[in-house]
Amino acid sequence: MTAGDEPRAAGYGTEDLLRELAPQVLGVLMRRYGGLDSCEDAVQEALLDAAGQWPASGRPDNPRGWLLTVATRRLTDMLRSDSARRRREDASYLATPPAVLAGADAWLADGATPGSDDTLTLLFLCCHPALTPSSQVALTLRAVGGLSTAEIARAFGVPEATMAQRISRAKQQVRVAGARFERPAAADLGDRMRVVQQVLYLVFNEGYSASAGDGLQRADLSAEAIRLTRLLRRLLPDDAESAGLLALMLLSDARRAARVAPDGALVPLVEQDRARWDSALIAEGAALITRTLASTAALGPYQLQAAIAAVHDEAPSLADTDWAEILALYQLLARVSPGPMVSLGRAVAIAMVHGPAAGLAATDELAEPLRRHHRLHAVRGHLHEMAGNRAAAAADYARAAGYATNAAEKRYLMRQLERVR
Amino acid sequence: MKYMLIIYGNQELWSSIDPEEFGKEIAAFDAFNKKYYDSGELLGAYGVADAAATRLVRVTDGQPAVTDGPYLETKEYLASWYLIDVDSEQRALEIAADCPSAKFRPLEVWPILHEASRETGVDIGVV
Repeated sequence: MTAGDEPRAAGYGTEDLLRELAPQVLGVLMRRYGGLDSCEDAVQEALLDAAGQWPASGRPDNPRGWLLTVATRRLTDMLRSDSARRRREDASYLATPPAVLAGADAWLADGATPGSDDTLTLLFLCCHPALTPSSQVALTLRAVGGLSTAEIARAFGVPEATMAQRISRAKQQVRVAGARFERPAAADLGDRMRVVQQVLYLVFNEGYSASAGDGLQRADLSAEAIRLTRLLRRLLPDDAESAGLLALMLLSDARRAARVAPDGALVPLVEQDRARWDSALIAEGAALITRTLASTAALGPYQLQAAIAAVHDEAPSLADTDWAEILALYQLLARVSPGPMVSLGRAVAIAMVHGPAAGLAATDELAEPLRRHHRLHAVRGHLHEMAGNRAAAAADYARAAGYATNAAEKRYLMRQLERVR
Repeated sequence: MKYMLIIYGNQELWSSIDPEEFGKEIAAFDAFNKKYYDSGELLGAYGVADAAATRLVRVTDGQPAVTDGPYLETKEYLASWYLIDVDSEQRALEIAADCPSAKFRPLEVWPILHEASRETGVDIGVV
């Protein structure tokens, strides 16, 4: 599929089009000229030119061709001034532009379908294992997501100069790691896919865990993660975990409006007003995960988490929640992807099925690994409260509030503490 | 995740380092700052003046009053702080351990919980 023949949602504007075309144009430049740093800068320049010119002059007939031509010109300008700076001896660079432009025209003329393959290759490159997670996230948002450095910096609450440094550093590391613009070898594909999925999930959570204050701009990150995961899924329709990841995002995002109180405090799932959940997102996410589970060859953590989210989302009320089903899914999840946070989720399900005492007993093994994590203490507080032990609940809520690293969660836990004290 | 790294000290401590060593220490700090600005993890590095230069401001009945102080009873007080943005607490601890002063004095590593939005002023509840 190309950018031209997909159905467009209402309100699909120039910015959406530019962000969709950005990785395609970058992919072509990378394939032709290599060098992530200069190619990516050139595409950003071309995007800025388009954003500046198109509103006045009208969108060109062939937006992709326009962007590719301008980006190519920007790239040759850059290479030329670079080489001029280095040493004014390389006359061949100076002779390059017409040939390069002819190359771009040829690409346009030969009707090559702009590569979904290129976009996927680019995604793998941005999520290169040599990079730290924050660098992978920043680079992915810029090179594949087409966001500007300023937008990314704002979303992460760091100065623009810091984000620019982080992105340029990431590009440098990609080069040092000797990464090439090609698909990972078949043997590495599984591992590399996991990194890509992890990066997209990080972006989603970055937008999702934020409180109300900057809701709008942070919510954009979740929307961006969903957009990129839809893209990933379109590129690899048979990958069950990518489908699971998308379903998980949709089913979580459906609860967004009910998740934060007007004062920014977190509203836990059990107290949320279900009328405020987005039924369209729930329907889409639930259908996707149901379809995926029916045919999956490899059950993975995203599919199972999505399945758990679907059980919650489809219950008309808290009392109607099928906790036995959730517990069964947690048992599977603990087998596929064991970890203290999964055990904690399972402990809650155990409490809902077998009572708070059984749930509390299940958290005992987590006392050490999650000692400094607010979630363990919040869950234990809740279970003590369920068991009618207010004093123990208060002590746990106080501990949880002390370890919280998110203002919205801290506000919520302080309120729990006041309530039981 | 953002963390504040805090170094405590006092005039006596800095005066006790001999001038040649002091130059080397400063160079080590410069290199530390450069290293983490370059990685994109350091957001800012600051040092405060001596405690004698501080003032206290309070408003009583709508009138601001400025006095000398605080008169600290502790021997060591806030000297410098760094604001960093890293992937994990583990990384914050690594950077703290890399700080040249860590061999003289422990650094405090504080997770940042609240941050006000540049646009709206509202707490964005750092994640």
